[in-house]
Amino acid sequence: MRIATAQTFTTGIDQLQQRQRDLARTQQQLTSGKRVERASDDPGAAARAERALASEVRGQASQRALETSRHAMTLTEGALGDAGELMQQVREALVAAGNGSYSDAERAGAADRLAALRQQMLGIANRGDGAGGFLFAGQGGSQSPFVDALGGVAFRGTAGEVKVASDEALTRSVDGQAAWLASPSGNGLFKTSNASIAPNASGTWIDAGQVRDLPAFYAATSPPAVANPAALTYRLAFTGSPAAPTYSVTKDGATTALTNVVYVSGQAIAIDGMEFNVQGNPASGDGFEIRLATPSLSVFDTLDRAIAALKTPLRSNAAVTQGVQQALSDIDGSMAALQSLRSQVGEVLNHADMVEGRIADQSLSARTERSSAEDLDMLQALSLFEAQKAGYQAALKTYASVQRLSLFDFLNP
Amino acid sequence: MGASTLMSVGMRAMAANFAALQTAGHNIANANVEGYSRQQVELATAQGQYTGAGFFGRGVDVETVTRSHNAFLTREAGAASSQSGADAARLAQLDRLEAVFPTGESGLGYAAGEFLNAMVDLASRPQDSATRQVVLARANDVASRFSAAAAQLDGLQTGVSQDLQNGVAAVNGLAQRIAQVNGSIAQTQGSGQPPNDLLDQRDQLIAELSAYLQVTTIAADDGTLGVFMAGGQRLVLGLQASSLRLLPDAFDVSRSALGVVEGGTVRPLTAGVVGSGSLGGLLRFQNEDLVAARNQLGQMATALSAAVNARQALGLDLRTPAGSGGPLLAVGTPLALPASTNARNGAGNFIATVSLAVADATALQASEYGLRTDSATAGRYLLTRLSDGLERSIASGDTVDGFTVTVGAPAPTATERFLLQPLTRAASPMRSVLSDPRGLAAASPLEAVRDIANAGTARVASLAVVDASVNPQHTASIDFTDANGSYSWTLRDRSSNALVSSGTGSWSAGTPIALNGFELRLDGVPAAGDTFSVAGTSSPQASNGNALAMAALRDAALVGGRSMTDAYASLIAGVGVKVQSARASADISEGVAASARTRQAGEAGVNLDEEAARLLQFQQSYQAAAKILQVAQSLFDTLLDVAR
Repeated sequence: MRIATAQTFTTGIDQLQQRQRDLARTQQQLTSGKRVERASDDPGAAARAERALASEVRGQASQRALETSRHAMTLTEGALGDAGELMQQVREALVAAGNGSYSDAERAGAADRLAALRQQMLGIANRGDGAGGFLFAGQGGSQSPFVDALGGVAFRGTAGEVKVASDEALTRSVDGQAAWLASPSGNGLFKTSNASIAPNASGTWIDAGQVRDLPAFYAATSPPAVANPAALTYRLAFTGSPAAPTYSVTKDGATTALTNVVYVSGQAIAIDGMEFNVQGNPASGDGFEIRLATPSLSVFDTLDRAIAALKTPLRSNAAVTQGVQQALSDIDGSMAALQSLRSQVGEVLNHADMVEGRIADQSLSARTERSSAEDLDMLQALSLFEAQKAGYQAALKTYASVQRLSLFDFLNP
Repeated sequence: MGASTLMSVGMRAMAANFAALQTAGHNIANANVEGYSRQQVELATAQGQYTGAGFFGRGVDVETVTRSHNAFLTREAGAASSQSGADAARLAQLDRLEAVFPTGESGLGYAAGEFLNAMVDLASRPQDSATRQVVLARANDVASRFSAAAAQLDGLQTGVSQDLQNGVAAVNGLAQRIAQVNGSIAQTQGSGQPPNDLLDQRDQLIAELSAYLQVTTIAADDGTLGVFMAGGQRLVLGLQASSLRLLPDAFDVSRSALGVVEGGTVRPLTAGVVGSGSLGGLLRFQNEDLVAARNQLGQMATALSAAVNARQALGLDLRTPAGSGGPLLAVGTPLALPASTNARNGAGNFIATVSLAVADATALQASEYGLRTDSATAGRYLLTRLSDGLERSIASGDTVDGFTVTVGAPAPTATERFLLQPLTRAASPMRSVLSDPRGLAAASPLEAVRDIANAGTARVASLAVVDASVNPQHTASIDFTDANGSYSWTLRDRSSNALVSSGTGSWSAGTPIALNGFELRLDGVPAAGDTFSVAGTSSPQASNGNALAMAALRDAALVGGRSMTDAYASLIAGVGVKVQSARASADISEGVAASARTRQAGEAGVNLDEEAARLLQFQQSYQAAAKILQVAQSLFDTLLDVAR
């Protein structure tokens, strides 16, 4: 076949240019460090890198949300810790005020101390989150959630909690109503009180009691054994002479196994898994009531009642003791609720730490994915570059030496 | 016989060798001329003279000058260059198209992701005006990136039209010149000798034309060559050249189409008539690749803005009093374009009209649609999805692929056509239409509250407002009546407490309770007597329910069943694959064209070494012929000496 001279030049130039382009491309990849600079370099890898980038950026957003939650929860945890300390001080003040040798004036002093503590407590309950919201406002946090209103402290927020937009649920504000204003009354499961039917003149009082046998308690106090647990009422009534008092317990008016039992001082009265003690000198006509706990125990109401009781002059030792006992029991209930909330908050913080780990893992794997999709294998690229360079040199050399050949050079002039 | 005969032989030999030398010189001179075919002198022995002693040769004759030409190879090279021209033109445009959809941080997907990620921060701090400002800035960014991409596509369209205009002008010029050369060749037809250089010139013109258009040639008896386009449309016949014209598309005037001028009128040509060549490549890019890119861009823009705006409308903003949020993003409206041939009234307006409206942005398909009347059933229309050719019969008012088609009165006639563009022009005017940061509807209009006295473990997992029918003035109360999840519900007016409606239902784990346009999900197990209430939000400033829902749009199947990120990733992968395969086609067809050119050059091209050898050969022959003359001269001298 004939080789057309002009065509060999054109082809030669085309081929040299092609080699030069390849070389330049490898060189550009080496400079940028990227194997995929445009989608057409490797469409699949470009799409993978795009998704990985989205996942990476999303990880950053989730991390920001997590920080918000963690910040709010740390503040909440601190506030609950402060509240716990205050409650401890309230407890100490109450125990001191229950001292039978205190005069009315001394009790009034203790009441003043409690009032100051109550004020601090209200401040903690209304603590802000530093971003215009309130730590304990639940879902409604544009104004102070706890206000001193007629009849005690009222909740102006909305119960519930607010979550941030992290991929796993993390909360930004907690439901303060449940902890501060509506912890379970009594000992958390049932509540003892003086019967409203007749005042106990003899000065006996009943303690807060406890549950000894939880399954038996639940079985006896919930459906189907009881149709309406909210209205369930046990009545403890004393009869007999002051020397040998006896008692009977009725459950919603029905007699129980405890009917005309002889009262032994110091011996607990047990029914349906519950146990409680009556102390003092029970007399005929004395009565007590046991109802299931309701979520109605307010820290502030407890303190208000205790303060009011301590400020009331000329009370008997038994009345003072009963009041202080009641207040201590309620304070313990509120403390338990605050502690429980604190542990919930701690759990959120714990969860946040774990989520942070997962976000970090996810971000790392996204970065790795992106890198493996679009980054250059340097070793491979360098060896390719060397090979292309050698090829280009060889092409230049042979092109120059072949194209220099011409018959005209050998013809005599 | 005598010395004069010898002299004649020598002179003939000298003339023949001179002719050969001249041709070799011509070859050397034209070695680098594009389209030149190597020529050679055809020599023939002159018929001998009869004498009694037999035939005596009378030397050599120059028969003709021929060119080394192979019609098959020439045609092959032309066809290969058409294909290569088409592929190269399309690749050059696709390369530009790819730059409209960059990857990584400069891409649309990243901007959309950042916009939705800003909703996460809005959910964290719904009251913070700085955070709201960031969301607006991100919305602005994503909208302007979409409209910038659409503007770049417009720029590509303008470039394509410009290239087509230039190509049409070049084709018309080439056709004129081919007709002229045809004329010149026809004039030499009587001479009996081939007009080699004119033939080369015509072949070269046709080769140049092939780069623009796919053509076939048919030789006529008078030496002229007829040139026809791929679909059989005549371009050059004898001395007559037709001329092409660039026209606006019959439906969408921003696009270009080709037409041919015939007797003063312009007849539009379909894309198939053009075939390959760079004009064909440009038309294919315009009608397929650019349309697909526009539709995909419009699909993402429409889906994003529809989802965000719908969410905005379901939430409460930060104004006083709080109201439902206004639109955040605006996109272009869907268009129904009548064909320019449709009937018009006296004022020049089209009589039959069609209108489109987007009904469900998530169901939209990235395609344009053709609409015409269904001749089989009166009152129905055939809707053709142009991306895959799916044809459906619809009635006016039907919703297909997420948009509603309404055909106005009077109904179109059987010959009238419409091009429906639900998405084509969506991205171009995309912009952010909310400038007040307080207008962002971060708050949910409803909030769910678990009654404080509930004994069960059920907690509110999520409350989602899903429907525009939600009425925040109605307070829902859900009371569980047994431990198996049965509940009764009431809906009461918030201010008057009047009962609006009530009913019963049954809850099971994992299923939401749907009422009043909301969906309430519970974690845990409710006990008998437990109550949940869903009421109007008490403090819209602090609520972030709607911002959470907007952040959840990151995972929502907005764009034809895919999330925004996935849609953009598959868009760039799709464009990348297109560019990749166009590059492969261009490489292959360029290789084919190059080898066809090499083969043709092997036949027709000039090899300088060969010509050098020929020069030497004929120079020596010329010298030898001169020697003949010298001998004849000396013979004459001898004779004259004898006579003296």
